[in-house]
Amino acid sequence: MAEMTGQDRAGERAPAPRGWLRDAQLVGAFVLRRVFALMVTVLIGVYLTIVVANMGGQVDELREIQIRSDVSEAVRADPEIPAEERGEMVERRVQMERERLNLDQPFILRSVDYLRRAMLLDLGRAEQMHSDLGSRQVYAIITERLPATILLFGTANMLVFFASIFAALGLSRRYGSLTDRTVIGLAPSSAAPGWFYGIFLILVFAFIVPILPAGGMVAVPPPESPWAYALSVMRHMVLPVAAMFISSIFISIYSWRTFFLIHSSEDYVEMARAKGLPSGMIERRYILRPTLPPIITSFLLMLIGLWSGAIILEQVFNWPGLGTLLFQAIGHRDTPVIIGGVVIFAYLLALTVFLLDFLYAILDPRVRVGFEGGER
Amino acid sequence: MAEPLLRVEDLSLHYRTEGGVLRAIDGVSFALDRGEALVLLGESGCGKSSLAKALLRLLPRNVGHFSGRVQLDGTDVMPFSDERFRREVQWVRVSTVMQAAMNALNPVVRVGEQVAEPLRIHRGLSRERAMERAAAALDQVGVARDFMSRFPFELSGGMRQRVVIAMALITEPDLVILDEPTSALDVLTQASIMNTLKRIKWETGTSFILITHDVGTSSELADRVALMYAGQIVEDSPAAAFFDRPAHPYARALMASVPRLHSREEPEHIPGTPPDLLDPPAGCRFAPRCPRRFDPCGRAPGTHVLEDGARRVRCWLFEEETA
Repeated sequence: MAEMTGQDRAGERAPAPRGWLRDAQLVGAFVLRRVFALMVTVLIGVYLTIVVANMGGQVDELREIQIRSDVSEAVRADPEIPAEERGEMVERRVQMERERLNLDQPFILRSVDYLRRAMLLDLGRAEQMHSDLGSRQVYAIITERLPATILLFGTANMLVFFASIFAALGLSRRYGSLTDRTVIGLAPSSAAPGWFYGIFLILVFAFIVPILPAGGMVAVPPPESPWAYALSVMRHMVLPVAAMFISSIFISIYSWRTFFLIHSSEDYVEMARAKGLPSGMIERRYILRPTLPPIITSFLLMLIGLWSGAIILEQVFNWPGLGTLLFQAIGHRDTPVIIGGVVIFAYLLALTVFLLDFLYAILDPRVRVGFEGGER
Repeated sequence: MAEPLLRVEDLSLHYRTEGGVLRAIDGVSFALDRGEALVLLGESGCGKSSLAKALLRLLPRNVGHFSGRVQLDGTDVMPFSDERFRREVQWVRVSTVMQAAMNALNPVVRVGEQVAEPLRIHRGLSRERAMERAAAALDQVGVARDFMSRFPFELSGGMRQRVVIAMALITEPDLVILDEPTSALDVLTQASIMNTLKRIKWETGTSFILITHDVGTSSELADRVALMYAGQIVEDSPAAAFFDRPAHPYARALMASVPRLHSREEPEHIPGTPPDLLDPPAGCRFAPRCPRRFDPCGRAPGTHVLEDGARRVRCWLFEEETA
């Protein structure tokens, strides 16, 4: 049986060569499919928001009442109009205003029109709110607040994310040690949200030991020089960032630690240990590399999820971000602002998911082959 | 007399478990010469995989007790620090093909890179030279070079197993420990891989420890057979002698349980179950199932050397022959 070599090779053929043109076609088809699916998702999400934020059309009845009272007040205040013509005048002006705002059409038709405009990022004008610079454009109002939120929540979440990943890797190596058990024991501290810790931090560091500002984003009046301004913003960020960090760091370490523990018992990790590879290399190449897709996913979803938990925390720290804005918009029933916020969020989310599809393909060869063919 | 390549003396490995101390390996001794293939035969849970892990120092976290001597060319490697063991023993002198070879390859690293990796780490070779050697190693196990740039999931189970074998051979270690290398494969692939291993053993003179529960597979490659039962080696014999005239009652029962092609004899099963390693029988561990049990079996038997040192059997039946 010495000539088994021939049989050894049975069933092994060299991979069939595939051209780059074919790859490009595959990638193109993949992109189109994904873009279409994501657009449908965004469309549905935005439409649902439009229906909900308008309370299925009830908000428009409120708007009509508002218009009627505004108009009759304006007509009454005008001494040129004779008293007997006032009633007719009010009706005419209300009718004109209704036509201008398309309120005479049924809600279902208007909702489609709102949807079309929202999808084109024509977010319209706010009903009552305006930006600090005085613009009533929803787009301007939102983009003015966005940087503040991104700065605060971006900083806090990045800190939590990277700190917990590195701590978790360390703990998974020292599984069962005292540090490990301590961190697990502290994980329930995340049951309380960030603003809860925020209240205590404000109490301690702004009032009992007043070393940090209680709220706001920058000192009043704002410092003149850019350095002093940046420093002031950083001082104002310390407490809210600390509050978020405390509330999520332990649960985050805990879940990543479990994640790494599971993945460090994979057979190929065991094999890498048998191969006598240095432990740093095992961690990078055999634990982190294969698990990069889920890590990146949670990182990107965390980034775009920044403003979801922001509302109460921004209120507590009086932070002029999107959370505060949405809170005010909901309070004022300022539908265009609410819808505008959701539209931008939906687009960001779709963009992130699209980006993730590509990152997955780059990071995980098992996904890559699915749409890229044989390019290597 | 020349030192054997590997000499294991009184090796013990106990695990801490919820139920108490589990004696996975309990005083195991054996030796292996260069170019020799030792088959470690035993049923599931008898400690044979633990023995492989102990030799490679791939110990789980719940090790309670680990002692004995493991000599490579006369040097005891047990006192080595983990770092020294990693640098001087793991994959340099002893490599392994592990039980779960289907998942033994990193899913996101190309096959060639993985095969070449030990050379780059342990021998400091450049990427090009290591890849060249990897291609040759894959050639040796019958995998075409084109597969170097493929990912593991693109390979069949049999081919992955070949890749893992190539990886185990690439640093030209003195000893390769094969832990059930064919258990997840179909019979044809099994046979083909066993033939490849035979060819490699003949060509390179590498020593093998083949761990298996399959008497048929073991007979293919074995120069010697060590039969394990409940964490101990009960018989250690030359392969021919073991298969023809098994000495230990467990070995006899095991051989009688193997169905034979050219015989009308019905295979016989061994009554009872293997002992609980948390609380093994006080005397001979096979005694409760042994058809030839007699008075002394209540005490632990010594290992008796038979046939001019060729066979070693742990059983009271052979006491008078030694004396």
